[in-house]
Amino acid sequence: MNCQSCTERMAELSDARLDETTAASMREHLDGCPDCRREYDSLRRTLEALDSLPAASPSHRLRARVAGDIETEKLTLRRHAGWASSIRAAAGTRPDRGFRWAPTILQALAACALIALGFAAGERTATQRQLVDLRARVDTMGQLFEQSVLQKRATGDRLETILTAATARKPDERVIDGLINSMAFDTSVNVRLNALNALYQHADQDVVRAAVLACLPREANPLVQVAMIDFLVAARHRDAAPELRKLISDDKADADVRESARRAIEQL
Amino acid sequence: METSAPPPDHELMLAVRDGDLDCMGELFERHHGPLFGYLAKLTGDRTAAEDITQIVFQRMLKYRHTYRDEGSFTAWMYHLARRCASDHFRRSSPAPVAVDPSELDRHADESRGADESAARQDDHALLHRALGRLDRDEREVLLLSRLQELSFAEVAGILECSVGAARVRAHRALRSLRDHYFRLQKEPLT
Repeated sequence: MNCQSCTERMAELSDARLDETTAASMREHLDGCPDCRREYDSLRRTLEALDSLPAASPSHRLRARVAGDIETEKLTLRRHAGWASSIRAAAGTRPDRGFRWAPTILQALAACALIALGFAAGERTATQRQLVDLRARVDTMGQLFEQSVLQKRATGDRLETILTAATARKPDERVIDGLINSMAFDTSVNVRLNALNALYQHADQDVVRAAVLACLPREANPLVQVAMIDFLVAARHRDAAPELRKLISDDKADADVRESARRAIEQL
Repeated sequence: METSAPPPDHELMLAVRDGDLDCMGELFERHHGPLFGYLAKLTGDRTAAEDITQIVFQRMLKYRHTYRDEGSFTAWMYHLARRCASDHFRRSSPAPVAVDPSELDRHADESRGADESAARQDDHALLHRALGRLDRDEREVLLLSRLQELSFAEVAGILECSVGAARVRAHRALRSLRDHYFRLQKEPLT
């Protein structure tokens, strides 16, 4: 082996990636060539330093974002499959209407519960008038109808609605309420996550922060919970501390959620 | 009790290609850490690294149909990562990458004891600075060649050059890093 071929493979020798024959041949050359030995020692030290650099870790939000992408792609896949099956099943039976309405009614009840929670969690900070208005709207039949219509639409369409709302230049209260409702009630993780993301630009509003805090303990999906915790930290919502402490001490809560809550407490 | 071995990456990716998109979640869990670490060192920017990591997984979903039966998942992923990083560099300013060592180490450092020697911290900071002084191409080939899950043949495939050329480029990049690193060690502290 000559100096040039030895030099080019020094990095591989240092981390034992060479086959034994080549490695033996290189070691033999290094033993008899002081220049190559010096070169090898200095490169090995550099590589050791490079390999010992601590690995950076991404934030929890990355997991939520990629999970959202996967959910979106799954929906797209289902929608494409749905076109074919809908044509085949054009004369198929209709689902039972009573069953289809049950989730809507449950959601309406949950809406009232959410607003009550919102009051409890945000009474010190949320604007009283906004919360009263919000509850009144949820209590009306009009809101029930809106909820039912929203839930009957395909998930992809609901997502599009959220994305449109997120880009609205001057969103009014109704748009913000719609985003809060979607974050609280939508059956799709992706829609809930996107609604939450869309609410970031309204994080300065008391009602928005109170709603996210109220939704946190009732949210079933850890990804959404972590995203909600990130939101509360970004919004510097100090009133979130008691709820976060409850999560930290809850043995049944997801490990990532508890870790996020612990970090959030430190940051708040 | 005998437990079955987890499916290899290649098998999971084939399942994703065939429509089982939940398998992408498992691939994310396995690979997002090293991929993010590679991109953080390459870009010197945590936020950009996180964005690019997400885009890589988006592209894996989008282009899943192009994944080949005989392929290596890791090589394919880093091939996409290279493209995504190039897009990022093209979009961003041509100014040298600003490396903030404290930013890159922020999370990892939390696991170490508070009495970790300052000398070691300084050493890491110097190396980050030395990495930041390499050309982007040098940094890329060097970091790829240090990924244990990639063979040199795969690195060459990702860089779209011969194995010999990849070896020479990696070696030159390593020498360049060493020179910057040793020079920085001799510089007085500012």
